Amino acid sequence: MDRELLIEIGCEEIPASWLPGLTRQLATHLDARLKDARLDTDAPAESYSTPRRLTARVAKLAERQNDHEELVTGPPVSAAFKPEGEPTPAATGFAKKYGVEVGALERHETPKGIYLAYRVRQRGKATVDVLADVTGGLLRDLTFPKQMRWDAYLEDGKGDLVFARPIRWLILLYGGRVVPFVIRRNENAQGPLVQDIRSGSNTYGHRFLTTSGRAGRAIKVKMFDDYQARLLENFVILYRGERESKIRRELETHARRLGGRVSGLVAAQSSLLQEVPDLVEYPSVIAGHFPVEFLQLPEEVLTTTMIHHQHYFPVVDEENRLKPAFLAVTNMQAEKPEIIARNNERVLTARLRDARFFWDADRKATLESRIERLSTILFHKKLGSYRDKADRVSSLAEWIAREAFGKSEAAAAAGVAGRLAKADQATDMVREFTELQGTMGGIYAREEGQPEPVWKAIYFHYLPVGVEADAPPTRQQLGSAAVTWAAVSLADKIDSVAGMFAAGERPTGSRDPLGLRRQAQGAVKILADLPELTGITTRIELWDLMTRALSAWTVPEDAQQALRAFMRERVMYLFEQRGFDVRNIRAVVPQSLDRFDMVEAKKKLEALAQMSRSEALRGVATLFKRVKNITKDVAAPPGSDASLLKEPAEVALASTLRQAAPDIEAAARRADYKDAFQRIATLQPSVAKFFDDVLVMAEDAQLRAARLALVARLRDLILDIADISEIVTET
Amino acid sequence: MTLQDLILKLSAFWASHGCLLQQPLDLEVGAGTSHPETLLRVLGPKPWSVAYVQPSRRPDDGRFGQNPNRVFKHHQFQVILKPSPDEVQQLYLESLETCGINPRQHDIRFEEDNWESPTLGAWGIGWQVMLDGMEITQFTYFQQVGGIDLAPISCEITYGLERIAMFLQRVDNIFDLEWGGGVKYGEVRLQEEVEESKYAFGQVNMPPEEFAAAHRDLFDRNYALGEKMLDSGLIWPALEFCLKCSHLFNILDSSGSIGVTERTAYILRVRQLAVKIARTYVDATTPAAMSEG
Repeated sequence: MDRELLIEIGCEEIPASWLPGLTRQLATHLDARLKDARLDTDAPAESYSTPRRLTARVAKLAERQNDHEELVTGPPVSAAFKPEGEPTPAATGFAKKYGVEVGALERHETPKGIYLAYRVRQRGKATVDVLADVTGGLLRDLTFPKQMRWDAYLEDGKGDLVFARPIRWLILLYGGRVVPFVIRRNENAQGPLVQDIRSGSNTYGHRFLTTSGRAGRAIKVKMFDDYQARLLENFVILYRGERESKIRRELETHARRLGGRVSGLVAAQSSLLQEVPDLVEYPSVIAGHFPVEFLQLPEEVLTTTMIHHQHYFPVVDEENRLKPAFLAVTNMQAEKPEIIARNNERVLTARLRDARFFWDADRKATLESRIERLSTILFHKKLGSYRDKADRVSSLAEWIAREAFGKSEAAAAAGVAGRLAKADQATDMVREFTELQGTMGGIYAREEGQPEPVWKAIYFHYLPVGVEADAPPTRQQLGSAAVTWAAVSLADKIDSVAGMFAAGERPTGSRDPLGLRRQAQGAVKILADLPELTGITTRIELWDLMTRALSAWTVPEDAQQALRAFMRERVMYLFEQRGFDVRNIRAVVPQSLDRFDMVEAKKKLEALAQMSRSEALRGVATLFKRVKNITKDVAAPPGSDASLLKEPAEVALASTLRQAAPDIEAAARRADYKDAFQRIATLQPSVAKFFDDVLVMAEDAQLRAARLALVARLRDLILDIADISEIVTET
Repeated sequence: MTLQDLILKLSAFWASHGCLLQQPLDLEVGAGTSHPETLLRVLGPKPWSVAYVQPSRRPDDGRFGQNPNRVFKHHQFQVILKPSPDEVQQLYLESLETCGINPRQHDIRFEEDNWESPTLGAWGIGWQVMLDGMEITQFTYFQQVGGIDLAPISCEITYGLERIAMFLQRVDNIFDLEWGGGVKYGEVRLQEEVEESKYAFGQVNMPPEEFAAAHRDLFDRNYALGEKMLDSGLIWPALEFCLKCSHLFNILDSSGSIGVTERTAYILRVRQLAVKIARTYVDATTPAAMSEG
């Protein structure tokens, strides 16, 4: 008969941001462990969590393991017996390993011959006898962003049991009965105050809330249904979804009572709403106010203080203006919530008073006057201070505006904005509110009377963060600063990326502490959307920009190669995120990034997306691989005598190419890639016929050269637009 | 509850739970963690539970007595429990109740906050304890000190005394706190704050280069002495000179006397000395402790 398995790992408070991942891990690993142990279930494991517990439940788990049968093969029969029939040592050794006579072994036929074999039969054990191993394995399986040692180990010979936070209790119930399991404590810690953790049937409710008796006392449970019901009675909402909807409901009610709604910035700029359900076991929302006078501070300062520092929800009116009020999620259902509200108000007010102090003090000096102080703030030990970076970004931004964008009228402003972009790092406000770097610099520049192309370029220079076409900032937000912003933001990002590669820092696997991937794809995103954002339509080669940035240092060739590969990855990532077929992406993004322009590539991808079902284009694409292979060592034509071509198919191809080439090249020049690909598709019959009828590698050297030249011309004509052999590859 | 009553309550509470009551380290340090009663005692296997107040100097936080929340020097109440008892969170919450904070009327939360000190080669895992949205305590399970894995694990509880007193007394300006017997915090400390801030930011009758040179010189001499002490096998004196260096570095930093590259080099030097001290302490004490056990 199937019975319920219930596991609860009672912990000290687990970091909120880890809980969603840990909850998933718990179910996945438990399922894997049960499968491994040959224990049948009729549905996957369910898992739940609160800050103080990780819970898993399997509604129906078989009472016994499945029996296990396995045929183990030994030596081949040919090597198992001596000519006179005596078993060889190989045979006796194999039999001995399984504790049987050679005569008891089976003969097993395989394509390679007949082998001695032994049939291992294991009868399934009772589930209760296997669950301790399953649990031990499960505890070992869980991984954490940062693990801690807490003087605990398991009796599995693998030493210390690291975990997220110390485990304080453990429920392990099968069919309502406790399965014995123990987490041991290291000898040098163990004593009256530090004890082994033994599995039991007790859970614990909310630390402080209770309807009767003492909060935090042990609660005996048997099955999941009464477990979650008893928890709820004791002010623990096990289901995350219910905690979240209680929070949303109460936020809405309170905001309405204040005559407004929760600011949209909470969802747009933070993961606060996703995080709070994992910070509490029994959420309730309180409302507080702050003195109206603080509304004179920049809105960004107010919202950052509330959202990022205090985890509060700002409230806005119908016109989206901040109200002097906030909402906070507490882990309490206090008799007098106004006490908690008042205390939170005091904390916020103190922070805002600090902010106002910084706001007043910072504005007494200009950003320009702060640049010298940047020399005391390290950017990177091999790349110097932020002072050095400011100089590089300034001249790079100026160059981009003038040379790459062809907007010399914007170059001066881009240079100024580039120079001032990091100056806010030397302000008190940014030292205290690091999230506001850039934003604050922009605000201070505006306050000093810098024109919009300068202050907005600073304000938005950390953006974009996302790669979507509509990721902020929008053209409307940028106003007259679009060109300078693009120049400064690009300069800052490619300086960081190129610099870090020059300094030997490269992101590896999941490690990217300097955020280079985000910075690189931010740069690529600006280039991809440059016409829409700024109206600039000139051709801009990505690698030209990188080369310019790299020229600040001497960079070894291998680092440059690594940087090309890295940038190509970010380019491909952006296009993939925008839904393009990865084969088409490979076709239009060359390995070398030579002569590569983002906008051009985007247009080619749009054209390919429309053309990808064209059988003719796919036909050319299929043959194109041969075209490339056969001409691997052939440089660009001309250089051979076309008059040598005699075969009808080669003459036909040569004449088709002669006619089609100017139109294809013209279409590409107009950036009408759909037309270009359509024209390439019309080459299909001639190309196919050529490869069917003509032996390119003719014995006659001159003829061979003439044919190769013809194929190379075809290659270069197409390769100039895209390596279409990629579009028909398997993914 | 006055500031001094708060200290008395916490002292009595932790003494009744087996902590020795130690006294502050008589040197300039930035936190109670620097006290040898923490820094050295958490190393090695020997159980040790101790509590003390530590005046803590953060030159960079000096605000000339003008900021209601931020000061050059504040006071920490530091508790070290080695090994860390299973009921440690519960004990901590009881200590708050003793001070008059009823957890049923407030919102008390343990929010992730790990601690790391690159200069000491030390890190730990833990939380900041939030009381109605205000951080009142740092709660850390030490994992490494001086680059050495700790066993057993010690728990460090660091109460921010001024913060808690301001909460209990419902005052919004630190200088309005009642220290004890009707005397205000400002009466006790305001003058000191103003002067120490001026010193920390180098606002003295002395050219900046001279100010910087004098402090570099002090640093170098203390450093050399620290190394000498260590050569002589004197761990406590070596640590004291190391801590003096750490403070002098903070002053050089707050007064803007050092550039970027130099700054990194100073941190590295302090770290090297601290790590050597920790290793020497472990080597010197572990065999003895083992033979005791």
